[in-house]
Amino acid sequence: MVASRATDTTVNLEVDLCGIELTTPLIPAAGTLAKEALGETVDAYGAVLPKTVTYFPRVGNPPPRLAEAPSGMVNSIGLQNPGLERFLKGLDDYNMGIPIFVSIAADTIDEFAEMCERLAEDKRVAAVELNLSCPNVEHGGLSFCSSPRTVTEVVAACRVALPNKPLFAKLPNEGVLANSVSAEEAGVDALTLINTIPALVVDPRERRVFLHGGLSGPAIKPIALRAVYEVSRVVEVPVTGCGGVTSGTDLAEFMLAGAKAVQVGAGSFVREPKKILEEFAFYLKENGLRAKDLTGFL
Amino acid sequence: MKLYEAEVFGRERFGEHILIRYRWEGEPPKPGQFVMARATIQDLNPFLSRPLFAHDYDKGVASLLFKVRGAGTALLAQESAGILVTAPGGRGYTFEESDRPVALVGGGVWVSPLKLLSRRLTLSGVAHDVYLEVPATAPKAYAAWISENYPHAILVETNGSQQASCPILDCLGDLARYSAVYASGPTEMLDAVRIASAGKVSAQLALRERMACANGSCFGCAIPVWRFGARTYARACTEGPVFPAETLAW
Repeated sequence: MVASRATDTTVNLEVDLCGIELTTPLIPAAGTLAKEALGETVDAYGAVLPKTVTYFPRVGNPPPRLAEAPSGMVNSIGLQNPGLERFLKGLDDYNMGIPIFVSIAADTIDEFAEMCERLAEDKRVAAVELNLSCPNVEHGGLSFCSSPRTVTEVVAACRVALPNKPLFAKLPNEGVLANSVSAEEAGVDALTLINTIPALVVDPRERRVFLHGGLSGPAIKPIALRAVYEVSRVVEVPVTGCGGVTSGTDLAEFMLAGAKAVQVGAGSFVREPKKILEEFAFYLKENGLRAKDLTGFL
Repeated sequence: MKLYEAEVFGRERFGEHILIRYRWEGEPPKPGQFVMARATIQDLNPFLSRPLFAHDYDKGVASLLFKVRGAGTALLAQESAGILVTAPGGRGYTFEESDRPVALVGGGVWVSPLKLLSRRLTLSGVAHDVYLEVPATAPKAYAAWISENYPHAILVETNGSQQASCPILDCLGDLARYSAVYASGPTEMLDAVRIASAGKVSAQLALRERMACANGSCFGCAIPVWRFGARTYARACTEGPVFPAETLAW
């Protein structure tokens, strides 16, 4: 079932991501759309992407978890989630008649692969996104993206475990070009660029670190655009852009830079995704374009 | 996040505290609920909206009481600024039938949700005593406003610093004479109410925490709670901001 769309129906917003037809190119970034909030987003998104899930439940980090930053925010949530089995029990709550993508994180390569195996057999899951910014406990807690070699290893293992569905890798900005090439060679179907950027917030009054987390919001948009632009020129697989989208023109910019689809994260905390899509539809109409025409225009 | 541009009827200043009245024709706020607010001139810097307790509501007019603490609240306080607000959200105070009175306890800017709560209790015919902390250093305009808006409140002067004891609790006396305690105040005061109420009376505490999405998505507004015997984190925006005192894992 394809949900009807509130935006201008004369504008063609459809895009194809790894053979999955999306009614709009807009997707929620992992960790920014709870099932409680789905009602606010009807017709805006082309796919649903719930918060990153891990094999075992995680309690998350102690507060504070949020801080303001110039034109953005820093967060350090710590992947609070109920664990894979409980997550899957509640997955029907995310059914909006559009594809469901599942974001996963793990401590080890084996755990990543085991989760992919479990998701491969669940028909409700259209695709799996690997959150590779999490620490790899087998390598002293360094991120899986700390070297192209570990990216290759984890993607290759997940590819074997998930032979029947599109596999996406979400990568951070640091080392994005080399890591993207490695992920593609290891068999990933699409790349999501970029994750939040490591950041620090200092409390000058208390003279202490207030928060060590990830920066998101408009502050990182030019960095994310550059990553999408440069990576999409060297890889064959599609790229989903992510980072600082708050408007329809932001969405257009990411697609022009090379993205097939675009995730909105922190932007949905300050603007309605529906409004972002309406602005995007207006942009397309004004320019006599379809959404799919934009990708890689530059 | 769905934000509505609201017609502002005016701003009043009481020292560093600002009261904004605006037209609200949506679902009326319940006591203890909050809205996310930002100035129309805020654009995207500062980025996030500010969570503010619903202060009062009557016949389509809602109000917010806040203290200017940073860039977001400074913009909200600007005389000419329009405001964007969400619909009221979160879980507010809950009520139980009882023939005994209830106590409302608050301090500083945290008195905000108690106005609407007091209005609701009065309408329901529930007897209630109001105890409010007022720092000795508070501007006279604020102290006068508190006296005017909570005419029957017992005002407890504090020296404005963190104190070993909680003077307001000394005034409250034996909590067992109340059927419930509804509190909204600084963490130290809420923790003192939590400890004092344990095993004696049901207490509900309105907590302030930074919020981003305000709809349960981001898990940024974490409050430590006990759940099934284990310590975990609840989201203030959807599971609070009012929590039963016994559930808090402070």
